[in-house]
Amino acid sequence: MSDDPHTPLPEPSDAADETRIGVDSWVAEAEGRQARKRGFFGPAARGWDASPDPVKLFLFIAFAATLPFWLSEGDLFVYGLFTLLYATLGLGLNVVVGFAGLLDLGYVAYFGIGAYGYALVSSPHYGIHWPSLASLPAVAVFTGLIGLGLGLTSRRLIGDYFAIVTLFFLQAFLVFTNTANPVIHGTGLTGGSSGIGNVDPLKFFGYALTTTKQQYYFFLIVLSLATAGLYFANRSRTGRAWRALREDPLAAEVMSIPVNRLKRLAILMGAALAGLCGAIFAAIQLAVTSSNFTLNVLIVMFAVVILGGMGSIAGPILGAIVINVSLQFLQPQNDHPDIKRWLFYGAIALFIALMKPWYRAVVVLVGTIAFGFAVHAIVSATTAASWTAGNAADAGSASMGKHIAGWVIIPVGHGNFDTIAYIVLVAAVCVVRSVSGWWRALALIPTLYMTAVVWESVLAPSPAVTAEILFGVLLIVIMTVRPQGLIGTARVEIV
Amino acid sequence: MATPEPTQEPKPLLELAGLSMSFGGLVVIDNLDLVVNEREIVSVIGPNGAGKTTLFNLITGIYSPDSGEIRLDGESLVGLPPHKIARRGAARTFQTLRLFLNMTVIENVMASQYGQTKVGVARAILRTPAMRREEREIRARAEEKLSFFGERLMGYRWDQPAYSLSYANRRRLEIARAMATEPRILLLDEPAAGMNPTETHEITELIGKLRDDAGHTILVIEHDMHVVEGISDRVVALDHGVKIAEGSFEAVATNPRVVEAYLGASASVTK
Amino acid sequence: MHALLFSVIDNIRALGWGGAFALLRNGLVLGSLYALIALGYTMVYGILKLLNFAHGDVYMVGAFLGFGVLTQLGGPTALAIGIVPAIALMFAAGMAGSGVLGVAIERFAYRPLRNAPRIAPLITAIGVSFFLENSVQLLTNGYQYTYDPFDLGKKGNAEFGPLYHTVFSVAGNGVSVVQIFVVATALFLMVALVLLVSRTTFGKALRATAFDREAASMMGIDTDRVIAMTFFIASVLAGAAGVMFGLYLGVTYYFMGFLAGLKAFTAAVIGGIGSIPGAMVGGLLIGLVESFSIGYVGGQWADIVIFGILILFMLFRPTGLLGSRAIQKV
Repeated sequence: MSDDPHTPLPEPSDAADETRIGVDSWVAEAEGRQARKRGFFGPAARGWDASPDPVKLFLFIAFAATLPFWLSEGDLFVYGLFTLLYATLGLGLNVVVGFAGLLDLGYVAYFGIGAYGYALVSSPHYGIHWPSLASLPAVAVFTGLIGLGLGLTSRRLIGDYFAIVTLFFLQAFLVFTNTANPVIHGTGLTGGSSGIGNVDPLKFFGYALTTTKQQYYFFLIVLSLATAGLYFANRSRTGRAWRALREDPLAAEVMSIPVNRLKRLAILMGAALAGLCGAIFAAIQLAVTSSNFTLNVLIVMFAVVILGGMGSIAGPILGAIVINVSLQFLQPQNDHPDIKRWLFYGAIALFIALMKPWYRAVVVLVGTIAFGFAVHAIVSATTAASWTAGNAADAGSASMGKHIAGWVIIPVGHGNFDTIAYIVLVAAVCVVRSVSGWWRALALIPTLYMTAVVWESVLAPSPAVTAEILFGVLLIVIMTVRPQGLIGTARVEIV
Repeated sequence: MATPEPTQEPKPLLELAGLSMSFGGLVVIDNLDLVVNEREIVSVIGPNGAGKTTLFNLITGIYSPDSGEIRLDGESLVGLPPHKIARRGAARTFQTLRLFLNMTVIENVMASQYGQTKVGVARAILRTPAMRREEREIRARAEEKLSFFGERLMGYRWDQPAYSLSYANRRRLEIARAMATEPRILLLDEPAAGMNPTETHEITELIGKLRDDAGHTILVIEHDMHVVEGISDRVVALDHGVKIAEGSFEAVATNPRVVEAYLGASASVTK
Repeated sequence: MHALLFSVIDNIRALGWGGAFALLRNGLVLGSLYALIALGYTMVYGILKLLNFAHGDVYMVGAFLGFGVLTQLGGPTALAIGIVPAIALMFAAGMAGSGVLGVAIERFAYRPLRNAPRIAPLITAIGVSFFLENSVQLLTNGYQYTYDPFDLGKKGNAEFGPLYHTVFSVAGNGVSVVQIFVVATALFLMVALVLLVSRTTFGKALRATAFDREAASMMGIDTDRVIAMTFFIASVLAGAAGVMFGLYLGVTYYFMGFLAGLKAFTAAVIGGIGSIPGAMVGGLLIGLVESFSIGYVGGQWADIVIFGILILFMLFRPTGLLGSRAIQKV
């Protein structure tokens, strides 16, 4: 049955005292060589990686602290304060999603509960006016406990169930605050759709935070503390346990890590941070309405975390900057129509430029432009004038706006055009994704043209909804193309 | 290859009594009794589907038995969640390797020390002296466990992501990770799977070292009979969830029931 | 709190038996729709372990497709063709369109993430859901399209009127043709589905893939095609439900998918996720709960009641009524 078991076996190769061919040190360094970032952003990325983490935070704080000196108050509110808000919310969401790997779709509800909680103890609604030093921590703890309660219901905290429970919780929260509004102690608890007004601003030691600049610096302090705190948490035994449970919850559990307890801890911390943000938000807005806590806001928070990079600490901050700045910039009231148009076509151009090899990119670029003119010419020549009669939205007197109508087709009065063009565009994108190589380049030409057409005739005129659509697309694109986000590290998954 | 000279009464560390489990209508473990004494190396063999990995899953709490007892050092493990069982002193490796791939080598071995350490997240955020001291201890312990494997997992290797390791090194890392839980008993699930003869020889010596130098008690599932012969004080053979033989390697290997389980009823015994 | 309880009791008394019957009737109709949508959720979860958040929006698209076809045919008042072919066309458009949409979503949004960690396709699903909802909002200018401007159900509407005639009454509350139609159609589709899954070769392939995808593909089953077909069937059912919702309640709006999806998902979970009979039972149950909640407790509390039920099930019976414990293979 078996051979002579005493056949001498080769000596087990021992340690890599001497460098030998195929032995690992060279291989190990190869990883490092490949990981060295190249390309246009290479030196910047390498510099970023090489600098120690506290330096990065310090640079960020230093830069952020200068903002009030060169932004107007209105701009500071919109670009500065809201970025800080989204960054802090993103950090908190990152704890739940990135560290514990749970999809908490009710996260914006914690934000809302924090806001309402603060409003209830700092307004004439019930005549309670707690000092900020007491209300802020109390609200944060209260919200954290609610999150914990939700977590306790999903007993095995299987991600999928938790997602649905939290999403439904958000819906229940919105219904509760908006319509249900039960009457407690004489008035509706949440003020219904008009919410609670006349909320006190934050007051510390008699000093009230009423100007944007004061509030901005306060929030900057909060963000810095939260960042530092989470950074330290991540590098501790708890952080390792979180990362282990993200990698393989079963193996982590068998290796003495109490998985469910750690998930609940993450949920608690994330919810508490969101509650704190909610309280500060209420104190800044001086009012609370449920319209601030809708699904749209949740999507922005998710986009912030996903774009920046799940699981990293700097990720949500970067994501918040990119998204909030873009979002605010594209708002109708901050209208810079010409710049918006340049941004859009610039983005398309950049997308083309990223194609390899370069001659394919050139073909696509030239092809798209030519295709557009050709189609426009054909359509103007053969159909009624109304098909090309439209003007580009917000064209004003800007040069590009006027001329773009000579390239894309903007019909006037043909109701179904929007829908059909949109569907054609989506189908075209699907085609592009299904083919590759030169076929893809060819398919891109009409697709890019359609994108411009749809943009000008359908999307640009409705910037608010367009922003939401873009968020949805952003999530899809990032998860399918670059799931680690902008500054996350690519993960290796066991298949 | 060591046959321990018992200088004292063998003390049972792990005791399974009347253990049974079935999935739906399929009986996977049937009334199993097994005792592993301290500092023993016991091998579990059997054809595929015999229930060996299920046995490990039962001991470590991944599955719950339908009936029977599992005792570690006299205390029952039945009904405990896996992380508590790990804390009681039962650690395992996996047949199909379940490392924390995106964490570094040393982080893998540090992470499994969670059960024996106690600094919470609050103290971690405040970076108290106690937290820093504990971190140093955790790191030192991880380095010590990794040094068990020679130079392979030392030095520059510590900060490499686990996915960059070769297959054999990954197996070693998984053992190191299990060792870091300071277990009373180590459950190794096919530690030599997929290894070439050189590596297999090393693993055989390593398992002996784990018992002799590190004092662990070891329960091993293995298919490679060279390894089983080389390490075992005792061998247990399972088939279809039932223990069909137990004893020294020679006795079990020649047991007709065992031969039949592996080769079929009409096989004649040749040795 | 006691005020609420008393008002509930008052409502029950006020509505009486007739009212109770009406609520039951409404609940069954609504529940049939939820059941159809829940089936889609449960099938996709069974085969991919994925919560397809976008499923509710596929349902919404189906409703709009049906409505679009009806408009193109001249609307309920001036139908170019007879009522039966019109409805048939609505169904065809709604079901086919939803089916194609579902397959496209699977192919382009989920398939690239087959081997990614569980959270990735969930996030993509949210992205898809958001994209669909807002696209439809954009293209419909956010209107809540009603069939009412077409005077559906009003007498004098020779074409569509008969759809809303009362067939029989109980305690003064009528049951109309459309209500029976919805329940009957839903039942028919569910029976067809059960037969498909249990009697056909495809059904076997489906069950095999749901059980162990890798093993199934090694046995020669084209798992990609099975998965695509599953999405197709799930979306077709949702599309049918959407068209029927439009016919029954006379409204379509871009946000209907979100709410219906949430409740249908709850139904699937309560019935036991992954179990087809479970989805049917769960759907009917949720429909009844919602209907009776609206009637007895008040419309604004219905959602909260359903949420409460979800939490109760999560706490005490997470595998649902008809679900089975999943065995984890290590």
